[in-house]
Amino acid sequence: MKIIIIGAGDVGFNIAQRLSEENHDVVIIEKDPVKIRHIQNVIDVQAILGSGTNASTLQDAGINESDIIVAATDNDEANIIACFYAQHLTDYITKIARVRNPDYTAHSEIFNKDFMHIDLIINPQSEMVNSMLKLTEVPVASEVIDFVEGRVKLIGITIREDSPLVGRKLSSFSEYEHMILIGVIIRGERVIVPRGHDTIQPNDLIYCVTRKEDIPNIFQLMNRREEGLSRVMIVGGGETGLALAESLDRTNINTKIIEKDGQRCLELAETLEKVVVLNGDATDRDFLLEENVSDVDIMIVLTGDEENNVLISLLGKALGAKKTVTRIGKLSYIPLVSAIGIDTVVSPRLSAIRAILQFIRKGKVVSVAPLKGEGAEVIEFEALETSDVVNTPLSEVKFPKEAIVGAIVRDNEIIIPRGHNMIKPHDHLIIFALKGAIPKLEKLFTVKLEYF
Amino acid sequence: MRFGQIFRLIGILNFFLGLSLVAPLSVSLIYSDGSFFALLYSLLITSGSGLLLFVLTKTSDYPSLSQREGMAIVTLGWVSAGLFGALPFLFSGSISSITHAYFESISGFTTTGASILSNIESLPKGILFWRSLTQWMGGMGIIVLSIAILPFLGVGGMQLYKAEIPSPVVDKLQPRISETAKTLWKVYLFITLLEIGLLFMGGMSMFDSICHAFCTMPTGGFSTQNGSIAQFHSAYFEAVITFFMILAGVNFSLHFKFLKGDLKVFGRDPECRVFLLILVLLVLLVTVNTYGSVYSSIARAFRYAAFQVTSILTTTGFVTSNYAQWPALSKIILLLCMFLGAMAGSTGGAIKIMRIILLVKHGFREIFSLIHPHAVRSIKLGGKSVPPEVLNSIWGFFILYLGLFIFAVIIMSSLGLDTMTSFASVAATIGNVGPGLGLVGPVNNYLPVPDLGKWVLIFCMILGRLEIYTVIIMLAPAYWRK
Repeated sequence: MKIIIIGAGDVGFNIAQRLSEENHDVVIIEKDPVKIRHIQNVIDVQAILGSGTNASTLQDAGINESDIIVAATDNDEANIIACFYAQHLTDYITKIARVRNPDYTAHSEIFNKDFMHIDLIINPQSEMVNSMLKLTEVPVASEVIDFVEGRVKLIGITIREDSPLVGRKLSSFSEYEHMILIGVIIRGERVIVPRGHDTIQPNDLIYCVTRKEDIPNIFQLMNRREEGLSRVMIVGGGETGLALAESLDRTNINTKIIEKDGQRCLELAETLEKVVVLNGDATDRDFLLEENVSDVDIMIVLTGDEENNVLISLLGKALGAKKTVTRIGKLSYIPLVSAIGIDTVVSPRLSAIRAILQFIRKGKVVSVAPLKGEGAEVIEFEALETSDVVNTPLSEVKFPKEAIVGAIVRDNEIIIPRGHNMIKPHDHLIIFALKGAIPKLEKLFTVKLEYF
Repeated sequence: MRFGQIFRLIGILNFFLGLSLVAPLSVSLIYSDGSFFALLYSLLITSGSGLLLFVLTKTSDYPSLSQREGMAIVTLGWVSAGLFGALPFLFSGSISSITHAYFESISGFTTTGASILSNIESLPKGILFWRSLTQWMGGMGIIVLSIAILPFLGVGGMQLYKAEIPSPVVDKLQPRISETAKTLWKVYLFITLLEIGLLFMGGMSMFDSICHAFCTMPTGGFSTQNGSIAQFHSAYFEAVITFFMILAGVNFSLHFKFLKGDLKVFGRDPECRVFLLILVLLVLLVTVNTYGSVYSSIARAFRYAAFQVTSILTTTGFVTSNYAQWPALSKIILLLCMFLGAMAGSTGGAIKIMRIILLVKHGFREIFSLIHPHAVRSIKLGGKSVPPEVLNSIWGFFILYLGLFIFAVIIMSSLGLDTMTSFASVAATIGNVGPGLGLVGPVNNYLPVPDLGKWVLIFCMILGRLEIYTVIIMLAPAYWRK
């Protein structure tokens, strides 16, 4: 597939890198010559200096032979215009635009087929709000991703030093085997697809799949009781903070939102009903104590200042907040922060990358979730009748070494598989895979389609 | 610097270089010219050593390369290609001295076309074919060829590509570097086949057609005849070769766009326009200058001037007339051509028209800003502004080119060569032209140059082919520091 990406910021760059590694032909259009040079040194794509809102640049990039255009600059209007031009130049191209301004996305119907012809609008902020809301459902997890309309959950858990799981071999979980499967362990910067003899170590981030109804078993495994979420503290009343607060406003969760700017607080107070709006500085220890940070179940830090977010989260944790969620934009920080005690990271860019990749791979792949650190993915494949994998016991399918089947979804049944399980046609498989294994998996699942 | 990685890739390169000897090997079988075993042993040694290097440096490293490693691989790759490329000459007894064989081989790969052979026609056909093949492979680049056939290089491929084709502006024709390399080679192959066809139709033997096309397209200049193209006494061959020398001097990405259907691309490209303008102007000047004094008819003057100026300007180095006997102005023009060179992104050598244009524009901007001290003006090429770092790099290139030229001329003259020979031999080798003036003139060869001088010229040829930076950076101590 040939894909044009406009803008080589964090989002554009990461998507380009991913797609290029998966053997797609990628062309990046970027205005900054310094970024162009950097791209040419590190990824195998064609980098064109110019603006995506310029029709002749788009033509230079070969828009007529391209399948998809992704407008991923920081500028909403430029992204929309670029898609507009693309539509003008070629009818068949799939258009994806990153649009952040809530004024635009509030009336997303104007982007649809009949008017603007944009196939997908990515709003990183609302993606982020959704993932945070999911986290509030399973408070113990540091990440929750839904598959099959939420019936299968992928849960990321950070293992603390006092966790009962520390030091246990994976093979010792046999009593839970049909309920839960640990697919990936992230240890520092390393990503491991574990085997039975691997042991869990402190500070590991483990990802496991389970059925929705089996979630309590996980808590049991971890010696924790499921505690309903009752107190949330949001720091930072920007667009994301407000959107999250609005969603929580409709629940029974006791929510507080802290904002530094007095004027903004007034605006927040006008919009919100039950949520308590606090005007103050979250880096102030006494202020946080006064607002009972020690009783808070989740402290969600969403200010615009990355470094401050990390420090506020650490402060909150030190003062007794049970769990923190921290917004970090810069992708290079993400692998580092879990080492210093940050539980969960949300990132608008990571959300955007996820949503775009998910859309591009659609067709063969139902949905996809890149995991933290970006070294691994969880992919939902549909097993076609023609594929080699069907009607063979799992243990005999030639899976790449860096991949493992986490769950098989057959109509209403969800199977956490073992070696003897068979894949039947039209099953949906949820597969953990390291980056390198993805092209092999795609081949495995599509290989026989070429005969048609 | 990961030396394992570097030598591993050089091993792969040698392996394929050895395999390319299959072509001259079959030629020698067809003509049973007695060079079969010389070529076979060369093949086995080259590929065998490549394989050995590959096995010995088994690493699990990911094959991505840093810019430094890319430069090291390209420079060392060329040095070693010259070394193994010399084996057929030595084994067949065509050339007995190692210095001479290495000179001939490097002159081939760098598409210079400077020879130390006095009687070319006495060489076995297989060896002559190898001599032409080195030029053809060197023209589009042996590294670019390996990028085309080794897709796993990926990002590392870009580092190698940049180090081997270091034009001021890197032009990636396709999203993938391996596809870009393949495209360039396909265009190159296509034009070469066209030339072979046209020469063959004009009555040249198949063997000579292939050999001459293989030396025209890379702007090489080796001929199978002692008297180069002059020996054919055919205006048709000269016209065909002149036309293809011009094609070879044009940026290959323009050819690619032309073949894709953009028919006006040559007229639109500013560098191409200047290149053709310079060519026409110099041809006319030389025609007028030689008419009367050397040639009695204007048509003859034009015929020889057009061929010779094109040959030297595109840094090919084919010869149809003994221009050493031309008037001083014509000789000076040809010497000037040795510095100008063809377009960036072509197979030609020397400074290249793109750099000359930008240097001149830069000069004019300085004059302009003396008149209007507060003026802000950017240098543009084809309506696009050229970033200052590109200009800086061009100035650096220009200074280094001249500096190294002067340095080499001083060494050559200290070896006892006369003024013209020292001057022209260095200009003709650093510019990858081939024939110079004086002792190394169009009807002479490089045999009289002392051995030490030959090594200096070998260094000049590699410097010129890889456009200075890639080679010279390896001499900087900071390059080797961790």
